[in-house]
Amino acid sequence: MISRRILAPAVPLLAFALSLLALEAWSGRPDWGLPLRTLAAAASLVLAARLVPWTALLRRVRPGSRLFPAALYLWMLRHFTRILLQESRRVLLARRFAAPRTLRAGCFRSLACAVSAIVIRVLLRAERFYAAQMLREIGR
Amino acid sequence: MNPLVEVSGLAYGYRREQPVLRDVSLRLEAGERLGIAGGNGAGKTTLLWCVLGLHRGRGSVRLFGEPATRKSWRRIGVVFQNPEDQLFMPSILDDAALPLLNRGVSPDEARARARRALHAMGLEHVAGRPAHELSLGQRKRAALAAALAPSPELLVLDEPTAELDRPSARRLADLLRGIGTACLIASHDLDFLERVVHRLALLADGRILACGPVGEMLAERELLARAGIV
Repeated sequence: MISRRILAPAVPLLAFALSLLALEAWSGRPDWGLPLRTLAAAASLVLAARLVPWTALLRRVRPGSRLFPAALYLWMLRHFTRILLQESRRVLLARRFAAPRTLRAGCFRSLACAVSAIVIRVLLRAERFYAAQMLREIGR
Repeated sequence: MNPLVEVSGLAYGYRREQPVLRDVSLRLEAGERLGIAGGNGAGKTTLLWCVLGLHRGRGSVRLFGEPATRKSWRRIGVVFQNPEDQLFMPSILDDAALPLLNRGVSPDEARARARRALHAMGLEHVAGRPAHELSLGQRKRAALAAALAPSPELLVLDEPTAELDRPSARRLADLLRGIGTACLIASHDLDFLERVVHRLALLADGRILACGPVGEMLAERELLARAGIV
């Protein structure tokens, strides 16, 4: 049986795909193609991220080789994803402690504020990371 | 009467082959302030997370006489190492009022109590400002005010003096001594712990080396060295 933990991350994606479908229907030409392609792209990206040993592959690329800029780009992408995950976990955890009762006063407003705080904090950390790479002459 | 926190035989690891906590046992009674001291990587934060029920390890962790659940968080105030983690509302007044609103307190009453909590921390004059406009010391105090506003029975603090200068750390210590709420504090700042806690547990390599009155523990130089904090 597929666990709730695996299914939970798919909920926002399904909601996004359904919103796309609803918008298509609203415009008078319901088309299943776009939401289905969205789901297929997300599923293939998740599978690629899970199945391909990216870290081992990237470590094999030698500095100065032709593949190095692409490897560096993927390495940084991985780092940014980690930053996003860390910041999201920390802020959303703090919100759960501040507002432990779901569907009570302040619940949705605090969620909206927490999500916007995550965006700002990720941007700030990304800026610091970029500045550090620039100083090391990597970010050019 | 049940202790507020009762941990017995707790073992936890992020990976099975690398345990972070091994056979940890401790108790915290009502009104008591217990410090957990240890060097970097000793397992202090992991222990706090296990106590809060965020990590489930082997052994037993009981909060207020029951297994730790989300329901028990309503009786706890938490101050994270980085105060920005918990100050995400448009103003620190909103941050302090949020837990009260969420517990069903009316908006007017929530704002009044939040103002009182900020006043107690000397922050009333900046109550309408967002956290990122405040100094680090002010943010720490704002996080503490937000945690204290709903009058929790237990306050959990993770490295409360990290990145604070000495005067700010002393002020924070005085504030904590003045509130009378039971505290569980993880820190490697021995000066701060000496000022605040009644008992101190020394943690090294995921084990409690010793636990006792703070004065006695701080006199044990060899144990402190083994815990990696002197």
